[in-house]
Amino acid sequence: MSVTSGTLERSAARPAAPAPPPGRRTRRAFTRRRALTIAAFLAPAAVFVAIFTYYPLLSGGVGAFRTWTVYNITNQPWVGFGNFETVLNDPLFYSTVGNTVLWVIGSLVPQFVIGFALALWLRPKFRFRGIYQALVFFPWAVSGFLIGILFRWMFNGEFGVVNDLLMKTGIIDTPLPWLADPALAMPAIILANVWYGVTFFAIMILAALQSVPDELYEAASLDGAGRVRAFWHVTVPYIRTTLALTVLLRTIWIFNFPDLIFGMTGGGPGGRTHIVTSYMIEITQQGDYGRASALGLIVFMVLAIFAVFYLLATRERKEALR
Amino acid sequence: MKRLTTSLAAMAAVGALTLTGCSSGGGGEGGDVQLQMVETLTNPARSAVLKELIAGFEEENPGITVELVSPPTEQALTTVQQMLQAGNGVDVLEVQDSTVGPFTANKWIYDMNADLEGWDGWDALTENAKKFANPDGPTHMMPYGFYGLSLFYRTDMIEEAGFDEPPHSWEDLVEIASAVNDPASNQYGYAFRGGTNGNSNAAAIITAYAADLIDPEDAFRLADGSGTVFSTDEAQQAMDDYLELFKNGSPPSSIAWGYPEMVQGFSSGSTAFLLQDPEVIATIRDDSTLTEDQWSTTPLLVGPSGKAAQPIATAGWGIAESSEHKEEAIKLIKYLASGDAPLTFAKGNSLVPILTSAADDPFFSEGPWATYVEMNEDPDTYLNVAQPRGVAWWTEWGEKADRELQQVLLGEMTTQDLLAEWDAYWSEKYASEE
Repeated sequence: MSVTSGTLERSAARPAAPAPPPGRRTRRAFTRRRALTIAAFLAPAAVFVAIFTYYPLLSGGVGAFRTWTVYNITNQPWVGFGNFETVLNDPLFYSTVGNTVLWVIGSLVPQFVIGFALALWLRPKFRFRGIYQALVFFPWAVSGFLIGILFRWMFNGEFGVVNDLLMKTGIIDTPLPWLADPALAMPAIILANVWYGVTFFAIMILAALQSVPDELYEAASLDGAGRVRAFWHVTVPYIRTTLALTVLLRTIWIFNFPDLIFGMTGGGPGGRTHIVTSYMIEITQQGDYGRASALGLIVFMVLAIFAVFYLLATRERKEALR
Repeated sequence: MKRLTTSLAAMAAVGALTLTGCSSGGGGEGGDVQLQMVETLTNPARSAVLKELIAGFEEENPGITVELVSPPTEQALTTVQQMLQAGNGVDVLEVQDSTVGPFTANKWIYDMNADLEGWDGWDALTENAKKFANPDGPTHMMPYGFYGLSLFYRTDMIEEAGFDEPPHSWEDLVEIASAVNDPASNQYGYAFRGGTNGNSNAAAIITAYAADLIDPEDAFRLADGSGTVFSTDEAQQAMDDYLELFKNGSPPSSIAWGYPEMVQGFSSGSTAFLLQDPEVIATIRDDSTLTEDQWSTTPLLVGPSGKAAQPIATAGWGIAESSEHKEEAIKLIKYLASGDAPLTFAKGNSLVPILTSAADDPFFSEGPWATYVEMNEDPDTYLNVAQPRGVAWWTEWGEKADRELQQVLLGEMTTQDLLAEWDAYWSEKYASEE
C-alpha cells in the first residue's frame, strides 16, 4: 500500500517540477566572461601541473632515447632505441617482470580481502569506533622505506622476532633464513606489504559502505534476504564502482612501490625480490639515467594499457547491470 | 567584468608572492665572505665535529663565515650533483674516492694544486694522504681520513674453541670460524657479508691471495698486464675458501647481511669475527654488551703468500669549479688538513688519520686502534693498493657483483663461473677505456 502511494506521489509530482531553465541563455553567458573566469582560475593549477608533472615526465621520456649518464651529464647524444634494446636484452629484466606479477597479485588479493573484512567490521557504530579506526589506519601513515627496515629486522634469521615467535610456539624447530632464502624472501616482503596496504582498502571500502542507504538493507530484509544475500545483492553492486577504482589504483601503486623492497631486501637474494621499479632505481643509482628512463617508459606503457583495458572491462559490467 | 579583473589581480598578487618566495638573498654583507660547505656522508655526530672545526676556523679567519649544508645521506649525492650542475651554492664539498672520477669528468671540481704550492702542511701528511692529495697535481681533493679493514674478534669465544691466538691468515679464519660455529646454540663464527657491498669483502680475499701479482695502482689488474686478478688460480683458491667460510663458519641468513646486521651480529655476541672499518670500535664501545676484555682487533688477514692488500677507501674536501671564493675555500681546506683539526676529525669519526704524528697519539697507538698503526708500519705485509673506485661503472659493478655473489652463496652459480664473469666484465671495461 505504502509502496503504491509513494509511486503515485512521485509520478504526480513530476509534471509539477519547475521547468528546466532555458538552455540558450545559460550557454551564451558561459561562452564569454564565465569561460574566461574559469580559465583564469584554472590557470595556476594547470601551469603548476604542466611544470611539475608533465614537463619532467616528457623530459624524462626524451631521456630514454639519449645516452644520459651522471659521468658525462653535459653530453647527451641520441641513441634511438638503444636503451630499450639494452633493457630488453637483459635477462634480469624478465625475471623482475615475473617477480612484479607475483608481488602485485600476492599483495593485492589479501589486501583486498582483509581490507574488505575490516571495513565491514568497522561499519556498524560501536563504542570507541574512532579509536579502532585510527589504530587500523595507522600503518598507512608510515613511510614504506621505514616499514621495510622494520620488517628487515623482524624477519632477520638470527635476531628477528618472527623466528623467535615461531620457535616459541613450536611451529618451527630451527630458525628460518627468511630474507636469505629465495623461496622465503618473496613471501616475507609480500607479508609486509599486505600489512601495510590493508588499511588503504579498509579506508576506501568503509567510506563506500557508509554511502549505502540503510533503506536498501531494510527493503532487502523485507524481501527476505539474509545477511549473505544482502551483501552480494545490495552491498557489492552498490559499491562496485569504488571497488573497481580502488583495485585499479592499488594495482598501479603496488607496481610502483619499490620503497618497501628497498628497505627490506634491496632486491636480494640474487635479485629474487627485484620488481621492475626497484630494478629501475638500481639502474638510476648506477648513474645510467637513460636506461632507467627507458625502463620507466616501458612501465608507464604497460600500466596505461592495463588501466585502459581494466576500465573498459569494468564499465561494460556496469552497463550490463542496467 | 569587474569580477574578472579582481580575480586576475588577485592571481597576479599570489604569483608575485610565490616568485619573491623563491628567490632568496645570498652572499655576505659588508665585504664578508660566506662559504657554502656541503657534506655528503652526513651523520649527526660527524656534523657536530665539523661545526666545532668550522667555529675554530672562523675564529682564526675573521671576515669568513662557513655555512655547513648537510643533506640527508640517502639523497646527498643527488643533491650535490644538482648543485654542481646548477653551478652555484657550493664552494667546498665532500668528495669521495668513488665520486671524484665522475665529478672531475663533468669539470665540476677545481684543481687546487697551484694554490697549495709551498704549503707547509704537505710534509706532515702520511704516504697514503699524499697519494690521494697528489702533490704533483692535479689535486682535486684533500683527504680527511681513511677507511680501512681490520678483523674484530672475540677473545673469549676463540679461547673456548681451543685457540690461543686470533687468525692471521684467511685459512686460519676458516678453521677457527668453523670450530666456533654452532648454529644449534645460536653461536656463529664469522659475520659474513652477503648483502649490500658483499663484493668488497670478496675483493679483499681475492686481492690478498693474489697480492704478489696485482698492480698496486689498480688492484683489479695484474702487474704484468696479462689480464684481471679474477682470471688467476689464486682468485679461484680465494673464492673456494671464501665459500667454505660461508658454509661452515657463518650464519646461513648472512646471505642477506649488510652493514647493520654484521655489526649487530658481532656486538650482540652472536658471531666471533667481523671484518669492518674502524668506526665500529666506537659502536661496540657504546652500545654493546661486550666488555673491553671480551674483544679485540687484529690486522687484515693475509693470503697464502703471507701478504694482504689493504683496499684503501677515502674521502676528503674539494672546491667547486664554480666557486667565486676559491681563495677563502683554500684557507678552509688548509685549516682542515693541518694542525689539530685532522686528528680531531679522525677521532670523532673513527677514521685512520692523515697525519704521521698520529702514531704518537695514545688514542691511536693503544687498544683496538693499535692494529691500524701496526698495519701502517708494515707496508711489506699489508700492501697499500687502490681499487679502481673512481671509474664510471663502479656502482654498476658493485650491484652486479653483489647479486652474483649471492647467487654463488645460494648455490645457483659456481665460483668458476663467477670469476669468469667478473674477468670478462673487467676485461671489457678496461678494453673500452683504452
